[in-house]
Amino acid sequence: MGFAKAGQRPAEAGDTAEETAMDLPALIRGLRDPEADMRRRCAKDLVSYPEAVHALAATLDIERVQNVREMVMTTLALIGTPEAVAVLLPCLRSDDAFLRNEAIEVLKQLPNSLAPMMEQLLKDQDPDVRIFAVNVLESLRHPSVVQWLLNVVESDPHVNVVATALDLLSEVGDENCIESLLKAQERFANEPYLQFAVRTALDRIEQSKEST
Amino acid sequence: MAVTETKGITDDDFQKFREFFYRKTGIHFDDSKRYFVDKRLVERMQALKSDSFRAYFTTLRFQTTGEELQQLINVMTVNETYFFREEYHFACMISSMLPEIASKKRPGDTIRIWSIPSSSGEEPYSIAIYLQEYWNDLDKFSVELMASDIDTMILEQAQKGVFSERSVGNIPAHVTNKYFRKDKNGMYHLDPDTRSAVEFSRVNLSDSADTRKFRKCDLIFCRNLLIYFDDVSRRIAAEAFFDALNPGGFICLGHSESMSRISGLFKVRKFPEAIVYQKP
Repeated sequence: MGFAKAGQRPAEAGDTAEETAMDLPALIRGLRDPEADMRRRCAKDLVSYPEAVHALAATLDIERVQNVREMVMTTLALIGTPEAVAVLLPCLRSDDAFLRNEAIEVLKQLPNSLAPMMEQLLKDQDPDVRIFAVNVLESLRHPSVVQWLLNVVESDPHVNVVATALDLLSEVGDENCIESLLKAQERFANEPYLQFAVRTALDRIEQSKEST
Repeated sequence: MAVTETKGITDDDFQKFREFFYRKTGIHFDDSKRYFVDKRLVERMQALKSDSFRAYFTTLRFQTTGEELQQLINVMTVNETYFFREEYHFACMISSMLPEIASKKRPGDTIRIWSIPSSSGEEPYSIAIYLQEYWNDLDKFSVELMASDIDTMILEQAQKGVFSERSVGNIPAHVTNKYFRKDKNGMYHLDPDTRSAVEFSRVNLSDSADTRKFRKCDLIFCRNLLIYFDDVSRRIAAEAFFDALNPGGFICLGHSESMSRISGLFKVRKFPEAIVYQKP
């Protein structure tokens, strides 16, 4: 015994993944396979089929094995089309914290596909969904992020949504944001936290201005 | 927090930047690193012809390709390696992980260890030396030690097993004397037996065609690599490691990396020597 090399001994079952190629219908059927390993493998291989996003999303509602769910999310992130984004958005309303958090993380990675839907998302009736949308903006690499945040700060009726947007604006905003910040300060004059958040954002913007 | 402002980068800029960089990479720069950070930020600002930190920071945050963030990560991380680097993981391998792995196997069974990225070989060879020096059960099992890197040039260099004095400087002298021969140019040649214990291969961690060759592993070392990856690539890597490991298998990441920030696939295991991650 001691050191050995895999290439210098007879191959054993499972040394490497020996997987027979499956077509789209078989992969979609495989998402309902009784074996979790097969469901995970099918979710992984569906990355080559953007048309499978609805089947993948449907799996999220019923799948309970964590590593399969993660693979479904990774595959949706890799597909990354507007259709993939569309099937992820309902996850933001889910009671399942895993789905909500994973959806936020995946959406952050899909700026171009998400951008056309962001304005609508920021006007959602549910303030929690709007907060999650602002959470997505936190790491979304898109030139409209500041404008979207300003829209929230100027017009969103819910203090928690505005406060979340202010936190982010204090980091990314510039002097062009000052007017919107002052409006928010006025709209929520009786909310001490929001007053504090506006002052912090204004201070940071002022410091940035002085440094340029 | 008394820090010194570099021209164009204020204390507040530094604060904003380090918060952002920590969120993206998990790497935290304390105040003592201020000069290091500022110097590299100024270099990148000049490279992009940004006239202010604010303009540069906007590019960094919102550039669709993420190219500048990657450039900055590259210059902010020192890509160096040497024998016995982050040695606590090797101590943990001997004292905690291997005993647990071995307890589920029979004598003669295979134990697979995968080191990626291997770079110029210091990590996989450190594992080989550690096993020979400190693991009493090495003779009871068949240990396959695999090492991979995406860079074929560095793999060639690794297989030669020749290292500088700086590279071996962290190894105790008696161990160096046992496993290396010093030539007249001051280079250290690893002994052929230890060199042949490691099987090198080229692997792109983001390519499932490459990674599916790795299965039934018991222990993976992937240290200071994922910090270079974007979020999607990190997820792909985590999925690849999950597929590669046996249930109960372990993965060691670099000290500034956290699997919990990448994926929920693994359990955190706190051993006396180190925190590692385990496939359930």
